[in-house]
Amino acid sequence: MDTLNFLAQGFGVALTPTNLLIALIGTLIGTVVGLLPGLGPINGVAILIPVAFALGLPPETALILLAAVYLGCEYGGRISSILLNIPGEAATLMTCLDGYPMARQGLAGVALSLSAWSSFIGALIATCGMVLFAPLLASWAIAFGPAEYFVLMVLATVALAGMAGDKPMKTLVATLLGLFLSCVGIDANSGVYRFTFDSIHVTDGIQFVVLVLGLFSVSEILLLLEKTHHGQQMVQATGRMLFNFNEARKVFWVNLRCGLGGFFIGVLPGAGATLASALAYMTEKKLAGAEGKFGKGDLRGLAAPETAIGASCCGAMVPMLTLGVPGSGTTAVMIGALSLYNITPGPLLFQNQPTLVWGLIASLFIANLMLLVLNVPMIKIFTRILTVPNWVLVPLIAIITSIGVYAIHATTFDLILMVVIGVVGYLMRKMDFPLSPLLLGFILGGHMEQNLRRALSISNGELSILWNSGIAQGTWALVLVMLALPLIRIWRRRLVSNRAEGLVVD
Amino acid sequence: MLLQRLFLGAWLLLALVMIGVGLDYQAPFSYEPVGPRSFPLLMLGLLCAGLLYLLINPTPIHRDEHEPELDQHGLRKVVLCIALLLAFALLFEPLGFIPASTLVGACLARLYEGQWRPSLIAGLGLALGLYLLFDKLLDVPLPLGILSVLGG
Repeated sequence: MDTLNFLAQGFGVALTPTNLLIALIGTLIGTVVGLLPGLGPINGVAILIPVAFALGLPPETALILLAAVYLGCEYGGRISSILLNIPGEAATLMTCLDGYPMARQGLAGVALSLSAWSSFIGALIATCGMVLFAPLLASWAIAFGPAEYFVLMVLATVALAGMAGDKPMKTLVATLLGLFLSCVGIDANSGVYRFTFDSIHVTDGIQFVVLVLGLFSVSEILLLLEKTHHGQQMVQATGRMLFNFNEARKVFWVNLRCGLGGFFIGVLPGAGATLASALAYMTEKKLAGAEGKFGKGDLRGLAAPETAIGASCCGAMVPMLTLGVPGSGTTAVMIGALSLYNITPGPLLFQNQPTLVWGLIASLFIANLMLLVLNVPMIKIFTRILTVPNWVLVPLIAIITSIGVYAIHATTFDLILMVVIGVVGYLMRKMDFPLSPLLLGFILGGHMEQNLRRALSISNGELSILWNSGIAQGTWALVLVMLALPLIRIWRRRLVSNRAEGLVVD
Repeated sequence: MLLQRLFLGAWLLLALVMIGVGLDYQAPFSYEPVGPRSFPLLMLGLLCAGLLYLLINPTPIHRDEHEPELDQHGLRKVVLCIALLLAFALLFEPLGFIPASTLVGACLARLYEGQWRPSLIAGLGLALGLYLLFDKLLDVPLPLGILSVLGG
């Protein structure tokens, strides 16, 4: 019953005129950012942090803005997937597979509205899941001491590599680099300047907005330089704009299944929307069997990834709010934003800042509804934005990114640092290193070190405190599972290929 | 493969240098068993181990079919783009936001295959529009630079 009370209180926060307006603006900005190639939710959220700060928005309003942008981005990403066959961002890759064929068959409007509907159901399921599970998880997590926290963060970083699939080692290396970079700056416990090389600009560490925008915006600008125009013709959205009842009924069970699945994948640290949408698509394809027309414009093939994306986005906020451990790159940026407000996400957040948490949850409901309603009438404008050529888009991204960085400290140094980080990020992407783990490592690093040192201070240097409690032991077991996952995957692949070879020999 | 090894090698070297630097960090007074240098050194050590593993068996790089191989021409464009971004960073304060972004915006637009005249218009339009949006509407102060004589 408490939960319902708090939820009502949250709606009280979310329904104030300012917050409603902010949520509306956020969803609009998010949709535009999401549909533009080269800008994703991470950049969108990162650029808006200094703006929210400059406008003097209170923390709950700022968080509502960022969350609305996040949801809007995931909505916008699929517009270019369906109409252009180019994913606006990585997660919507699966949407292309059946969305574009549908658009080619003259069902562009139906595909757009049905995917919006699916995404809405997914987000709704996940938000309900959040209402049910987040307070539970938070009350359970209060039992965590520094040692348990440290192990939990080890789990989060290892889970990144375990879930990464094809390149666990590269993911791990990127995470470790992020963890190291978080050490730059003055050490809060001893006052020692670490890795600053006597520069006053990094005494309080590398600004995370600088890191995010360098890694994701600048490197994207450089990558856009290579991508020549695909020559892909945009499909005009004409004819029937809304899906009908029959179509919605056909995908209803798909929506439910993928919504639940997407939520749980979103809750897992490190496994974001990309994995959720891929898994949902593969599962539904297998379930449909031979009668499905997957890849040729099957409704279920469109609904499955979209529901999963919507659900995993909201799911990713559960570990962020309850444990302070981000579930995705974008929630990592949101944690960074909260720390600018001196708010540390964690189990105590539910006790100390109920308006913030429940206001956010309530506004997720509202933002999702707004996105669904906005989708149909605004689609003409959104498709117009898609035709903006690269030579206008790139200067726009470059200038806005620089403003975002400049707005924090107003120094030239930060701007140069951003370009340098961007070049490194570009090289890493060329070498096939994932960048989100680096960001997650950077965000987790500070807490990880603090908790480790606190734990060892309690035990006076005894290392055994790290695995003495039951919670810690359980978490260590999960760490081992995560470490074993890539090995098992390699082993299975080898087994399969051996068998295939054996068949050839026979 | 060679390029990747070179990249990894340079990275490893840098990490080793950082270990060298980090070894010196000692707290003048200490109230806790773990000093300021253990955590970064632990991370760097693991990082070096991971890099070594990748150096010995590097994973192949997946490439999009949309992305063509980087040639001489492409490389020159990338270098030029980096130079432009650096120039923007350096000019941002002394020249002021509007002139710097007009200049760099127009050059960037040219680099991404815009025509001269539309590029210039785009640069100027973006500079003015974004200045009004951020400085006037959103309260993010931007430097006026050489335009400050006009008494903005």
